[in-house]
Amino acid sequence: MNLWCYPALLLWTLTGIVFFPVVFGLCLVCLRMPADRVMRLFVWIYGRGWVVLTAPFVRFRRENIGLIEAGKPCVFVVNHLSFFDTYCMALLPSYDVTFAVRSWPFKMFWYSGFMRLARYLDVEGSTWEETLSDCKSTFARGGTVLFFPEGHRSRDGELQRFYAGAFKVAVASGVPLVPLCIEGTERLLPPGRTWFHPCTIRLRALEPIPTHAYSKVDGHMLLRKQVKEQMARTLATMRAEDK
Amino acid sequence: MTEQEVIELIDSSLAEEFELERAEMTPEANIYEDLGLDSLDTVDMVIVLEGAFKFKIREEESVRAIRTLGDIHQFVLTKVAENS
Repeated sequence: MNLWCYPALLLWTLTGIVFFPVVFGLCLVCLRMPADRVMRLFVWIYGRGWVVLTAPFVRFRRENIGLIEAGKPCVFVVNHLSFFDTYCMALLPSYDVTFAVRSWPFKMFWYSGFMRLARYLDVEGSTWEETLSDCKSTFARGGTVLFFPEGHRSRDGELQRFYAGAFKVAVASGVPLVPLCIEGTERLLPPGRTWFHPCTIRLRALEPIPTHAYSKVDGHMLLRKQVKEQMARTLATMRAEDK
Repeated sequence: MTEQEVIELIDSSLAEEFELERAEMTPEANIYEDLGLDSLDTVDMVIVLEGAFKFKIREEESVRAIRTLGDIHQFVLTKVAENS
């Protein structure tokens, strides 16, 4: 598997880097799309490439993805198990996904330019007002924002503490919140490992949650607890199904 | 409430809300660096404390100066003494 995946992914990345400026420019001129939207489309296609190239060894299953209405603004929250999780977001039906992440990826020069071009959100390096304003702008354009509410990858597969940002954004913006449960990437490429392992990866969408009922002062805290409980139950069910 | 009961209510409320390890909740623990809270959590912390002690503190300037769990203990003890 690794003899195929690493060279193939390297070639895919190099191809992307070489052709990116030309294709990006053509998209801007011919499709007349905003630069940040084109960049998010590229990221989605790049992620799809990873999915396709690893597909001979990894079975990808999308579950209940029909619950997600493409083109409808929402906040996605997804559990975090592996570096590969971000690429698996290419399994979502829409490419217009703005990632809300911590500051450290913005400090990696090979990521930061693309991330800034895609207008990804540095939630750690921005004030709450800036983050909320950026999210509202994204929703106004029909986009979605994706958070990993745990902040970093789980080392034991169990859900960690959920930070409040995603839930506050969803409530303050009045958009639905869609929990996503990912399972299997911890076997493909767990933290601290460099070799891929064949596995099945499942991405399950849960029912979108309208947030209007959570507008009280502690509403986002209640929403956070309910979503975490729901995701923990779903992940336990998914793991039991795998056995 | 005794001082110890106030401290216990603070610690148990924060531990439950933010899923903190009680063993790490020492008075010297920095709420950001040691307990892993972020700036949004401090807003939620105020809501949690207001719910636990039935007072209003969100307009208090001194909340912004809180850095350690011991600061929270001292702040709440002062407020409880003022309100009693």
